[in-house]
Amino acid sequence: MSSPFTALLQSLIRHRGVTGCMVVGEGDGMIVDSSLQIGVNGDAFAALTASLYRKARRAAAAAGFGETGFFELDADGGRMCAAGRNDLVIVVIAEPRVNVGLLRVEMLQALESFA
Amino acid sequence: MKLSVAENWVEAPLKQFVDEARVQLAVLLNPSGQVLGQFGFASSVDVMTACALAAATTASSGELGRLVDGRPFAGLHYAGKVRQIFLGQVPMGAGTLILLTVFDEESSLGLVQVFFAELCVALAGVVQPDAPTTPALAEDFERELNRNLSVMFGRS
Amino acid sequence: MSLVNYAAREITCKIVYYGPGRSGKTTNLHYIYGQVPGDRKGQMVSLATQTDRTLFFDFLPLDLGIISGFTTRFQLYTVPGQVYYQTTRRLVLQGADGVVFVADSQARQLDENVESMQDLHANLAEHGVDARTVPLVIQYNKQDLPADLILTVPELEEQLNFRGVPSFAADALHGPGVFETLRAVSEQVLRKLSTGGGG
Repeated sequence: MSSPFTALLQSLIRHRGVTGCMVVGEGDGMIVDSSLQIGVNGDAFAALTASLYRKARRAAAAAGFGETGFFELDADGGRMCAAGRNDLVIVVIAEPRVNVGLLRVEMLQALESFA
Repeated sequence: MKLSVAENWVEAPLKQFVDEARVQLAVLLNPSGQVLGQFGFASSVDVMTACALAAATTASSGELGRLVDGRPFAGLHYAGKVRQIFLGQVPMGAGTLILLTVFDEESSLGLVQVFFAELCVALAGVVQPDAPTTPALAEDFERELNRNLSVMFGRS
Repeated sequence: MSLVNYAAREITCKIVYYGPGRSGKTTNLHYIYGQVPGDRKGQMVSLATQTDRTLFFDFLPLDLGIISGFTTRFQLYTVPGQVYYQTTRRLVLQGADGVVFVADSQARQLDENVESMQDLHANLAEHGVDARTVPLVIQYNKQDLPADLILTVPELEEQLNFRGVPSFAADALHGPGVFETLRAVSEQVLRKLSTGGGG
């Protein structure tokens, strides 16, 4: 079954090193649509990432930084990127080798369609 | 806010759930509506009322689920403007328990569901101690019962 | 199933008021609610229809205070009496520590009383409970009505009290018998608990 986000997710998952991508509700942390490799706990990842993104966005707003465009978290074993608009967050889980620059451009372009 | 429990074996899993899911209220009860542990309620009678309603909601939604879907619904979520309610069933070895939790924008349905799943796993792994078999009350408890009932009914 | 917390020394018991429709179960709880001081009771919850018939249950939490060193709380429930709420009655009855059967003393309600008593036993059996082991008290309500409308207590006893359980004549609207009924069922429930027979 396809959703309005199917094409976006299919495009993101084709990036080298990406192991999963999702569109998540920022407020409820629930998955709207996803493309995940086997072994990724999508529900937990979506809920925790949405919470983290929401807090980061609020922190940035409180600090007077304005809108949060892109959020990235680097860990030893991988990277997590999030970008959101209108209560929807695109979340990408990737290996350390992923080309974050390319990913970032595509995620921000995709956000335009969330307007 | 303090966590209080009627059964000690629920304390650690419930505390973990409250801490991780960042909920405002949480109460674990049995299907008869009796509280096993709670966090966030100020008054014991309020907890009892919440438990009675949670047990009733679970029972009625379960019956509704059986009617329309052939099996009971496993969970229920109500999204209010400010606060949200989640009601879920915790499968145990013998029967089920019920979790009622209330949260606001500090948490989310997704977080609550994720940590509720962890709570279920944690509770399933707990070994429940056998209930003490010694008599609970003194032989002459009737005197105290009568005195307290008289106080309640203004007859003292 | 009573809940006893030995560490915190707390006891919580569930008492269900059972009986046919319009026999006065909700009236019992209303009277109790009206009499009990504010610090000993919680909010009374009634899930009722627009015509004030009990739809799911009435609920009243009571704090009895300390008995034998245990903080003792009772949860009073009523069931909907109307025949078609069979499933709901069974759900509310689940885990009951004690039952008050509120009979309607009016002669024309005798069949409903008998039917409801049979229903009680059937529902306890559904829960795997031997009805003979459940603390039970019978209240013959509406004994204040004119004598030509009601059956006497001995007549009702013969029809309903085949177990010889404690029974009380009552006028739940004005109070006589309400306190005595609650006292008797409380005593039975706690006595069963003290002999190790509770949940």
